[in-house]
Amino acid sequence: MRSVSVIGIGETRMGRFPERSLRDLIREAGETALNDAGIERSVIQALFMSNFNAQFLNGQGHIGPLAAEVLGLGTIPAIRVEGACASGSLAFRQALIAVASGLYDVVLVGGVEKMAHLSTESVTEGIASASDFAQEAALGATFPALFAMIANRYFHEYGNVREAMAICAVQNHENALLNPDAQLHKQITVEHVKNGLPIADPLTIYDCSLVSDGSAFVVLAATDVARTVCSKRLVEVVGSGHAGDTLTLASKGSLTTFAATVSAAKQAYAMAGVGPADIHFAEVHDCFTITQLINIEDLGFFSKGTGAFGVTDGKTAASGLIPINVSGGLKAKGHPIGATGLSQIFEVVTQLRGEGGARQLPRADVGLTHNIGGTAATCVVNIFRGR
Amino acid sequence: MCRRGTLFTYSVVHSGMDAFKDQTPYVVALVKEGQQIRLARVEGYTDRHELVVGMDVDFMAEDQEGHPIYRFSSCPE
Repeated sequence: MRSVSVIGIGETRMGRFPERSLRDLIREAGETALNDAGIERSVIQALFMSNFNAQFLNGQGHIGPLAAEVLGLGTIPAIRVEGACASGSLAFRQALIAVASGLYDVVLVGGVEKMAHLSTESVTEGIASASDFAQEAALGATFPALFAMIANRYFHEYGNVREAMAICAVQNHENALLNPDAQLHKQITVEHVKNGLPIADPLTIYDCSLVSDGSAFVVLAATDVARTVCSKRLVEVVGSGHAGDTLTLASKGSLTTFAATVSAAKQAYAMAGVGPADIHFAEVHDCFTITQLINIEDLGFFSKGTGAFGVTDGKTAASGLIPINVSGGLKAKGHPIGATGLSQIFEVVTQLRGEGGARQLPRADVGLTHNIGGTAATCVVNIFRGR
Repeated sequence: MCRRGTLFTYSVVHSGMDAFKDQTPYVVALVKEGQQIRLARVEGYTDRHELVVGMDVDFMAEDQEGHPIYRFSSCPE
């Protein structure tokens, strides 16, 4: 397998943009990424497009050719990749495999979602198709309800971590204050989180990620090609893992550790030849605050049951030992589902290049992204190193 | 005779999809019966109920789609 590097990144601001179309979001993020790579679009050999549910949310399928047309990519192959909230990372991994195999030298990966124009109830129904619709959603088990059940089980097995969950939200909001692409620039407190509008006990509105419109793109190239075109710090994809688990919550071996994360992380660490202690910072999938706690344990940054102590001790803050979600995460930067995984990669590449501006981390040579779909029925972990 | 399960985990749902809007707050739970864990609804919730993992719930019926429905236990021990 050939070494592969990221040579271009682009994203829109995340937010509620009723006046913007899917095309408009794709155009801005896609052209930004192509300009960032400094390459002609004729060099792109294939397009991998991530989108979760535009068929339900916007009445639009066939996102691959839509994006290829918007970006003027001619007759190159374009394919849509879907893995619920992990769609972005999943599309990235398919592109990575295609370049690593030698089939292509330069490819474009994009993600888009437009969901904020719908009512909360409709969005909730659209998202519910990422669970088992007949067995879970049809019983009234929304995504917040599924993760609330995970939280209550976690409390039972490891103790009540309500305070640490709230701190995850507070920290992510604080980080987003320094990110111009973030949807929310709003400081919150632990009390706001605990006393917020109840959604599914113990989760309040402040424990839940955002409903967002947005798009993100990444240009990937074989590293030997990348060296000839890339004028910025080269960011090599040194590790990648993908694993799955049962779709339904009731069938999982454990609710408090996600088997898909553990397996995907193991693959990515082995491929990169590093361990959790070698990672300088990470973007992890904080669809709900409890998920962020479980993720930082499953990725090996903290042992099982101790993630909450790491959070309350400030170890996951931007100034901490292992900064988590310095972008603001899904909680405050935003969660345009099909774009989310690529938006995480956008942040890691930005940090590795030293282009983070006010939120630039002092130590940023090895970064990790973690993206799950459903109740962690799909997980993709990627590790990046600045060269 | 009661068919009884225990709460493996649960949540009181306050914000649902359109189809369930009128039913909030309602309880969804993973209920354990023997070695089997199934997603279920637990009927009869009021804010006087204190839910805990491990508490007993009584099987009522299956709904039209075959989902199990329980209620808070009132059977004699």
